[in-house]
Amino acid sequence: MTPVDRRTPVLLDEATRVLVPIILLASAWLLLRGHNAPGGGFIGGMVAVSATSLMAVTRGADAAIAFLPLGPLRLSCLGVLLGLAAGLPALFLGEPYMTHLWGELLGVKVSTVLLFDLGVYLAVWGGLGGLCAAALGLEEDAA
Amino acid sequence: MTPSPIESNAQATSSTSRWTIAALVPLALFVAVLWQAFARGYDVTFSWAWAPAIGVDAAFNVDGLAMLMLALIGGIGTFVIVYAGGYMAGTPHRGRLFATLLVFMAAMAGTVTADNLILMLVFWEATSLTSFLLVGFKHEYESARKSAQQALIVTAGGGLCLLAGALLLGGIAGTYSISALLAHGATWVEHPAAPAAMLLIGLGALTKSAQLPFHFWLPNAMAAPTPVSAYLHSATMVKLGVYLLARFDPALGEEAWWTQSLVAIGALTAFWSMLLALRERDLKRILAWSTVSALGTLVMLIGLPGAAPPGAVAAFLLAHALYKAPLFFVAGNVDHCTGTRNIDRLCGLAPHMPWTAAAAALAAASMAGMPFSLGFAAKELIKAAKADSDVWAWVSYSSVGVSMIAVAVAGVAAFRVFWHQRAATTLPEIHEAGWAMRWPPLLVAGLGILLGLFPGIVAPLLDPAADAMRAAAAIDEPMPDLDVSMAGTVVLTLASGLLLYALWDRVHDLMDRVLRALEPASMLAWYGRLMAAIPAMAAAVTRRVQPGALDVTLLLAAAAAALALAVAAWLVGPPPLADLPLLPASLGLTIAAALLVLVPMLTLLPRSPLLLLLLAGFAGLASAALFLFAGAPDVAFTQFTVEVAYIVVASVLIIRFTRGRGAGPAAHARRVPRALIAVASGVAVAALLASTSALPQDDALAAYFGRMSVPEANGLNVVNVILVDFRAVDTLGEIAVVAAAALALLPLLRRLLQRRRRTGGPE
Repeated sequence: MTPVDRRTPVLLDEATRVLVPIILLASAWLLLRGHNAPGGGFIGGMVAVSATSLMAVTRGADAAIAFLPLGPLRLSCLGVLLGLAAGLPALFLGEPYMTHLWGELLGVKVSTVLLFDLGVYLAVWGGLGGLCAAALGLEEDAA
Repeated sequence: MTPSPIESNAQATSSTSRWTIAALVPLALFVAVLWQAFARGYDVTFSWAWAPAIGVDAAFNVDGLAMLMLALIGGIGTFVIVYAGGYMAGTPHRGRLFATLLVFMAAMAGTVTADNLILMLVFWEATSLTSFLLVGFKHEYESARKSAQQALIVTAGGGLCLLAGALLLGGIAGTYSISALLAHGATWVEHPAAPAAMLLIGLGALTKSAQLPFHFWLPNAMAAPTPVSAYLHSATMVKLGVYLLARFDPALGEEAWWTQSLVAIGALTAFWSMLLALRERDLKRILAWSTVSALGTLVMLIGLPGAAPPGAVAAFLLAHALYKAPLFFVAGNVDHCTGTRNIDRLCGLAPHMPWTAAAAALAAASMAGMPFSLGFAAKELIKAAKADSDVWAWVSYSSVGVSMIAVAVAGVAAFRVFWHQRAATTLPEIHEAGWAMRWPPLLVAGLGILLGLFPGIVAPLLDPAADAMRAAAAIDEPMPDLDVSMAGTVVLTLASGLLLYALWDRVHDLMDRVLRALEPASMLAWYGRLMAAIPAMAAAVTRRVQPGALDVTLLLAAAAAALALAVAAWLVGPPPLADLPLLPASLGLTIAAALLVLVPMLTLLPRSPLLLLLLAGFAGLASAALFLFAGAPDVAFTQFTVEVAYIVVASVLIIRFTRGRGAGPAAHARRVPRALIAVASGVAVAALLASTSALPQDDALAAYFGRMSVPEANGLNVVNVILVDFRAVDTLGEIAVVAAAALALLPLLRRLLQRRRRTGGPE
């Protein structure tokens, strides 16, 4: 079987190379600013999903799925585990589960909230990104 | 070091499984119960808060009745595990059986000690589930799978009734605590809905204890390995229904409709199932029917008024477990050592299996109610209980019949199989069972005789159990003394039972013919019809709702959604058009609203699916813009990103699906019904939104979140703070759903992708 000619326009192909890092940076920015301004883990994750979808359209589903760190399922489950873990430290302080904690590490404000939101981000990116890429891949070879 | 062939061979034919060690668990329970019962006293209670907001606590109360049940669970359980160690030796996957048995034990112990209805239900359902797994242990046989399914459907169906009844009862009485319910019985019993609640709870009990008309599942559950039958289906699980009825007896003992129904159902079950036993040739099934009969007797006793029946219930619970479990062990030994349980092919086994024969004789003596056995003592107590109250005449007659057939069944199990000599039956080489299968029946049956000789030993166990079943107001009188004054009736019952035993084959033929004629009307036949009707109905509905054309399915789904919205709008009432709350007008809002009106109208024009999809996406973006200008940037953001991802995926798929195939016919078909449904759902949504937005809104929560966002959660973005902090557990559930959806869908999509690649395209 010969490799399928996807006939991706050169412009789109080139744009992918530039756009994907920019979109991912933007998604990380949305994730980090989310606690005080519009954004957050879900929105950031969905923006990252659009980067994965763009890759799936231009480079193919396999490349897009391979681009997801750890692969879609593990990434998504890691997100859920991070979310679960974010609530645990409170238990050691005798607080109810999911009571968030804030602190400073090397001059940077950190909190279990950020860990939780990162979990949301990864769960969305891995789960929905993987699904979008796989759905886009369905008809790749049908033409 | 290489193992010598002799050693490895010895290991392969080892007569016991190393899992026997698990018997230490029930043994520990048994010893603890006995120590508590004889040395320390009753009514141990302990509780933790579980879900206090809905009145569900992990509360336990170990009273006399619970103690008796725990003693059975631990005592019989110990012997069952030891027996199973021998019986299951060499069986593949036997570890599962032992593990499930231990889980079952824990569930049983929880059910009888739980002092909260909901907690008890959790354990109750756990016994149903583990019973399903145990009955279906030999899952490679279709009959075992079917029997397991039947047992689960009947008992779990009853469990659902029990759940409904418990919720109703909790609603009426305002508490789920069982001890509180029984203490304040008089108040909720008079509530008009109390009979409904008790009826539902009664259904749960009757299904579990295989009472008419749900009696059919128990003999079929004999597909389980014998240790399971001995434990679940004679000594413990099936007695849960009896336990539940006995538990509620102090509150309901004065309700005539309740007690009389119990007497009628119990007596009918006791008699009818004994008749059914006469029809069987399989030793285990004969025993199973006699178990159903014993359960019927127990249910009947609970329905009887007066102070004597509780004592009879307690004594018979114990006596039955002590003779029926050994008889099942005996049936298992016979099966194990001869390869058959058919009583026509079995005879004269005693010389080959002397230990098993001895155990069978001891157990059968107790079952037949021979003097100096615990069965005799129980039978005398039952007689006394019936003498105390004027039962219907037919109940008395049927009990005589039950006793008579019980004697005959005991004769079949202990005499016919072991001592009866007949020519022309050839069985392969017979050997006695190993020690692990030899001692449990002998010891348990021997205990049944020992306690019959010295009934005083178990009084500290039985008397408190009887007290727990008595209404608080009832007079507390000691167990009646046992005497042999009723020798006449005993001899009469024995003689008629022996006559029936002698005529067993002829009676069997007669019953077989009669019951064969009745078969189409039997409960089992109705169950079969129901099981066949469910998939037939599902198929009929599916054929109409999903005829194979996607657009018809979608049309029906949209119509159903529109109908639901319309009903909701109708329930809320007409919208107050005059004073609708309005958003302050701004340029952005006006443009977004105008787009929201215009774009959907444009979808009427094109026929290409791609254009339609893009327009629909554009409408979604317009609504996102509306959110943006209405002051909800996070919602707008979310809508934007989701809309974009959806449109990209869907449009690429549409382009590739329709390449070289034109627009497809779907867009043209059924325009009128589509238009009607579209207009209807639009009107319904508009009306619903208008009415609900005019309703007075309680914004206390929103105000709280807005106020506490910075001081409590250090966040300025209230929406995000709610998502990750105030309602973080909800969000956790949602991302778990996302991950679970990916887990389910991705492997499917990839499999599809691989297959397409292999075959080179969808066609």
